[in-house]
Amino acid sequence: MKKYIVFTLLSLFVFVSHAQIDRTKQPERGPAPEINLQEPARFELLNGLKVMVVENHKLPRVRMQLTIDNPPILQGNKAGVADLTSSLLGKGSKSIPKDDFYEEVDFLGASISIGDQGASASCLSKYFPRVLELMADASLNPNFTQEEFDKEKDRILTGIKSEEKDVSAIATRVQLALAYGKGHPYGEITSEETVNNVSLADVEQHYRNYFVPANAYLVIIGDVEFDNVQELVTQFFTPWTKAVPPSFNYSKPTDAQYTQINFVDVSNAVQSEVAVQNITELKMKDEDYLDALLVNRILGGGSQARLYKNLREDKGYTYGSYSGIRANKYSPMRFNAYAQVRNAVTDSSVVQILDEINRITNEPVTDEELTNAKAKYAGNFVMALENPETIANYALNIETEDLPKDFYKTYLERIEAVTKDDVQKAAQKYFSTTNARVVVTGKGSEVLENLGKVNFNDKKVPVLYYNKYASKTEEPNYDVALPEGLTAATVLEKYIEVIGGKTKLEGVESYAMLAEAEMQGMTLELEMKKTAKDQFMQDIKVMGNSMQKQVLDGDKGYMMAQGQRKDLSPEEIEKIKEESAAFPELNYLSVGNITVEGIEPVGGKKAYKLKITEKKTVFYDVETGLKLKETNIEEAQGQPMTNTLEYEDYREVSGIMFPFKMVQTVGPQSFDFQVKEIKVNEGVSASDFE
Amino acid sequence: MKRYLPIALFVFLMGNFAIAQKVVFEEYDLDNGLHVILHQDNGAPVVTTAVMYHVGSKDENPEKTGFAHFFEHLLFEGTKNIKRGEWDQIVSSNGGSGNANTFLDRTYYYETFPSNSLEVGLWLESERLMHPIIGQVGVDTQKEVVQEERRLRVDNSPYGAFFEVLLKNLYTKHPYRWGVIGSLDHLASATLDDFKEFNKTFYVPNNAVLVVAGDFETEKTKKMISDYFGPIPKGAEIQRNEVKEEPITNTIMDTYHDPNIQIPAILLAYRTPGQAERDAYVINMISTYLSDGESSKLYKKLVDEKKIALQIFSVPIDAEDYSSYVVGGLPVGENSIQDIKDEIDAEILKIQTDLISEKDYQKLQNKFENNFVNANSSIAGIANSLAENYMLRDNTNLINTEIDIYRSITREEIREVAKKYLKVNQRVELEYLPEQKDAN
Repeated sequence: MKKYIVFTLLSLFVFVSHAQIDRTKQPERGPAPEINLQEPARFELLNGLKVMVVENHKLPRVRMQLTIDNPPILQGNKAGVADLTSSLLGKGSKSIPKDDFYEEVDFLGASISIGDQGASASCLSKYFPRVLELMADASLNPNFTQEEFDKEKDRILTGIKSEEKDVSAIATRVQLALAYGKGHPYGEITSEETVNNVSLADVEQHYRNYFVPANAYLVIIGDVEFDNVQELVTQFFTPWTKAVPPSFNYSKPTDAQYTQINFVDVSNAVQSEVAVQNITELKMKDEDYLDALLVNRILGGGSQARLYKNLREDKGYTYGSYSGIRANKYSPMRFNAYAQVRNAVTDSSVVQILDEINRITNEPVTDEELTNAKAKYAGNFVMALENPETIANYALNIETEDLPKDFYKTYLERIEAVTKDDVQKAAQKYFSTTNARVVVTGKGSEVLENLGKVNFNDKKVPVLYYNKYASKTEEPNYDVALPEGLTAATVLEKYIEVIGGKTKLEGVESYAMLAEAEMQGMTLELEMKKTAKDQFMQDIKVMGNSMQKQVLDGDKGYMMAQGQRKDLSPEEIEKIKEESAAFPELNYLSVGNITVEGIEPVGGKKAYKLKITEKKTVFYDVETGLKLKETNIEEAQGQPMTNTLEYEDYREVSGIMFPFKMVQTVGPQSFDFQVKEIKVNEGVSASDFE
Repeated sequence: MKRYLPIALFVFLMGNFAIAQKVVFEEYDLDNGLHVILHQDNGAPVVTTAVMYHVGSKDENPEKTGFAHFFEHLLFEGTKNIKRGEWDQIVSSNGGSGNANTFLDRTYYYETFPSNSLEVGLWLESERLMHPIIGQVGVDTQKEVVQEERRLRVDNSPYGAFFEVLLKNLYTKHPYRWGVIGSLDHLASATLDDFKEFNKTFYVPNNAVLVVAGDFETEKTKKMISDYFGPIPKGAEIQRNEVKEEPITNTIMDTYHDPNIQIPAILLAYRTPGQAERDAYVINMISTYLSDGESSKLYKKLVDEKKIALQIFSVPIDAEDYSSYVVGGLPVGENSIQDIKDEIDAEILKIQTDLISEKDYQKLQNKFENNFVNANSSIAGIANSLAENYMLRDNTNLINTEIDIYRSITREEIREVAKKYLKVNQRVELEYLPEQKDAN
């Protein structure tokens, strides 16, 4: 056990006179502080592993970080192998079973995580030797098993599936693929198909190829002694076999030939994802690296920046609009300025973002903007230095990014020295409005017409079309003519007819339904009961526990979510009443005011789109007349959220056709409900609605 | 900017666990009685300026509660030299961030800056102490804000009232008996003179500790401190009455109906020794043993294995005169709060009868050490611990030695302390229930 020396100096100085100071104004800030960054001690193992040690005895803890600085890896038709490898690492080793490994780490109060390109761990210094040993063992002797492989593969496939209709996920994927090209490591697409191409052997191969010491750095920071670290690291990491990762070529990303809109049609989108992007070649060691960071901050670096002020605060188009610039020594990178915006303002947002980029390129920023950006930047930079990981990253960056030794020591001074002219030059060099790719992911039927009219710098911006996997496609055609004389009533009457007829439906006093869905390996149960007397009950249970319940009985009702109960507001009651009719279509017919909006594809079928209210739309199959889908727009934290319900597999119960499969999608989540039971005019009692 | 009371219990769990490292500091008094603690660490160019005032809700007049917390808001309204609304702007344009909080015994204000803005921090805090503007506009504005805060955190917040209800039951004479937010009626009826009087009494240098922690030059900083804080006049000595509670000898039963909840909760609360006492540290260990993490006794048994409880918790609420220790849980499905109570009692009885296992004891030590080390990993965290150790535990150096207390606690001691304080007849049993529906 170490002895701690404590100094407590009780000062006897007494200050009797106070210098006159001017308190009426804010004191001047001092010169930018010099960064007291410690120089790490170093050594290298014979296998090529470079080790840096930063002794810091302030706290009796140690952080260790293994970084393998490989060039980006092209996974090709096995995209997903890197993710799979990462998720199989850190689960024990050939000699320590998974459960024992977890338990020991927990007992030590430590944490260890391992990925396909590195590892990290933290612990109290007294357990450093053991934790380093555990990290090394799990990193160098992983126990890849078919069982774990299958489990993780399922998890990744479920993730991909759940993102099928996720507008943000689609947008990000296409933006990256268009910026870098699908043949580039940062642009390639992981799909169900590529994941299914991956076998356990591929994971082992990937690990063998890339988890190698040639470009590896191990940084150890904290309450350690260099000699001891050297001894332990040498002991635990010498078995790591010397090897160099395979190298390969990939396409070099290039900008668009002219500024263009790349449109991706996602029919369930209620917001458009707009990203204006171009390719930049920026490395950390470049002279104007800080200029580039500052100009990005002024343009879109936060809530004080121009994009946010314009698109959110001034126009109210979006919840937030930002921009990002990235430095990379291996590859040109994407600059992007982006926002999620309401459908109706998609075209205006494109113009505003392009205008802001144009303005910052053509006009100098104001003194105030630059001063504030510097202050915020300097403040954040300085605060981050407290975190030992930041210090580790800096030491590593100097090494791997080929930076001058005093790069971080002079950081603040150099920030301070940046001028308005520097900032404008950086904008001109790194932002483009002449070769920009404006990727818009959204609902074509609502946004394309106006998007086609976008003018920028007196030129029409052409629109090119891409599918969800970033392949070129035809312009979508939404002009399917409605049959002559078709009205909403025709569609609704046909639906009522095909599911059993008006008399039959009106004879339904009550019905009860039980359905199940899977969610992350757990069973989700949905129980729903309705009567013709404005009674409604819906209960969602996970593993038998009620997670969310809505109950309506005439004019009163309540909602329960995760243990909290809340009475329904009159508006909510009204809304549920609309739903709670056993067959709402019977009401739609009498209410009227419903319009046919057109014909749209739903899951490969053509459907009439009926607008029931401003927030509710229902789709009926042109061929069969059955209800295929409905969408409801709800507010969640001030943002519109679309809740979609799709109906499939209609079967007859007591002479009425009911859907036995329902797919509910809310935001990125999707649930497949299989109906287990439907009862008509039985199984419902008054007590269900208490 | 919103300012939060540390009502969330887990927040002050952290605050209690000062750590035992080589935190070198220096302390002295100015002529006017301001206590100064300097902790120099030039590792990162970050500096925290913080002032803790020895005034909390317990110092309030029982007829005028809520003042201490109200001041935490009011003292951001501006000073003689800082216009209304400028405070936050000054902080952020210097690349800094800051906030404040109030509890039973103290009120704490702090800012963290890049170290070249140290003087700005000292200027801000000295202005706040020297001549804050206590005017009608500020008072009216902050009355609204505090009302909103009470609605948000207590009235509309699920389980938000439990701390207040427990305090009321645990203390009959001691001023801990009203909560930190206090009474909105008292605040509404308070006059400008009441607020000025409170300021004059408690916001004086001889009732405060200034901490400067981080990257600075010592001599220069001492001079600045003297320049900015020296001219502030000393206040009258503060009279504090020591209030002793009679021991609880019969279980106090209470129920409370919260309109914001659906699942009932059972809360068992014990009055335990003040935070500076050794037994308070033992209680902290018992609490961690019972409910910290998925492998803790209560969690493992009630949530994981028997699936009786949706959630289980045990929280020591440290304070100067007495601490409070709360154990409780929320039942799942058909299980009752009685089931939970029985299980908790069985587990506490085990601690009172048998020694905890060697392995659990070692794991506990590891957990504590790890928590301590990480709790004070930032300059801002160290500043807070230094101020609190000086002001509420009367020993600034606890930041270095507190871990030794935990290390020295034995398994036998854990058993004895559990026996002494965690008796059924010495506690409050609060059934915290959903609001009942009317028959119709």
